[in-house]
Amino acid sequence: MPPGALTDERDVREAYSAHAPELYGFAVRSLGDSGLAEEAVQETFLRAWRAGERFDPQIGSLRTWLFAILRNVVIDLGRARAARPTVSDEGVEASVEPFDEALLSWQIEEAMRRIGDQHRRVLVETYYRGRPYAEVADELGVPEGTVKSRVYYGLRALRVVLEEMGYED
Amino acid sequence: MKTDGCRHWKEELGAYALGHLSDQKLAALEAHLEGCPSCRAEADSLLAVSRLLPHADPEHFGPAPQPPAELGKRIAATISSERRSKRRRRRLRFGLGFGGAAAATAMAVLAIFILSGGSEGNPEQHVAFRSLPSGVRIAATLEPQAFGTEIHMYVKGISSGTLCRVYMRGPGGDEVSAGTFRYRWGADDSAVLSAALDLSRAEALVVHAGDRTFVAPLGNAEAATRNQSQQEEST
Repeated sequence: MPPGALTDERDVREAYSAHAPELYGFAVRSLGDSGLAEEAVQETFLRAWRAGERFDPQIGSLRTWLFAILRNVVIDLGRARAARPTVSDEGVEASVEPFDEALLSWQIEEAMRRIGDQHRRVLVETYYRGRPYAEVADELGVPEGTVKSRVYYGLRALRVVLEEMGYED
Repeated sequence: MKTDGCRHWKEELGAYALGHLSDQKLAALEAHLEGCPSCRAEADSLLAVSRLLPHADPEHFGPAPQPPAELGKRIAATISSERRSKRRRRRLRFGLGFGGAAAATAMAVLAIFILSGGSEGNPEQHVAFRSLPSGVRIAATLEPQAFGTEIHMYVKGISSGTLCRVYMRGPGGDEVSAGTFRYRWGADDSAVLSAALDLSRAEALVVHAGDRTFVAPLGNAEAATRNQSQQEEST
């Protein structure tokens, strides 16, 4: 058994307090239902505990491992939902791609939550709402140059947070 | 070029990465980037970040939903009950093995007798409910115990959150409660229940799932020999 394996209940409790908020947040985002998200998170930790001896921190982080389990749980859930009389051509694999896309969306949204309000605000106004810098500057009561520099520092902050979250492109 | 001297240019790089620079400023910045590897590297790195932005939805930038407080407790409780039942099964196996080797001593036989609830041979009884609505699966494993019967219930395919009440029917039709559990989607482990009725005397296992009732006759029941197939009773 590798050192750091997830073998007793205390390990699971620690893993839960460290990672459940993220897993749950993502599960809600991806499943669109808080009840299903709870089921998915519960199942993720139960599977993690049952397979705990196989977890090796040398290979990857606990967070990555838990997300990989959650991915399977969500796919199983999609399969259970799809288990209706009509058989679709896409089959099971179809549910993998939305998962990865949802994971990417969620990671960036989570990173956006973690950067400062000022940075997020200018990115939302200038990028997502497409508003002119001068207008945003007026509204915020700051010079236009400040909006521009907040956009710059906002993107840098986003990069740092994504790196911290283990995002790799 | 020294990086400090680039501060003015660097602060343009955010707007550049988002494609927000006017043609004039863009031309000036690009001329600078040609000759400044440090700004070029920063520009490329911010361009990579900006390419991720379309994947996010600003509607979801608000506070993330938090898992309900009882979720952690529920997981901990499920895990510890799973661990206990695993340990109990191990103990039971150990007990029987030991009994085989040391059957000569009355003490050992007595110990096994208590441990396995007095049944010989295969102590577990597997019960599969039949004649179920399509998509529904209910099964149970019954283990004789000194206190009565330990019941591991497996349920699939009913609505998540359905309250299930489990009874064992004894001689004369009396029902002894084995407890309740809620079926949860994804919880493919068993609910562990117990009833104060000896398995050898039990005639049927009864599950009320929501407003439906399912009955599985047990091997001891005369009814089981009369009617091999389990039936669904209306409540």
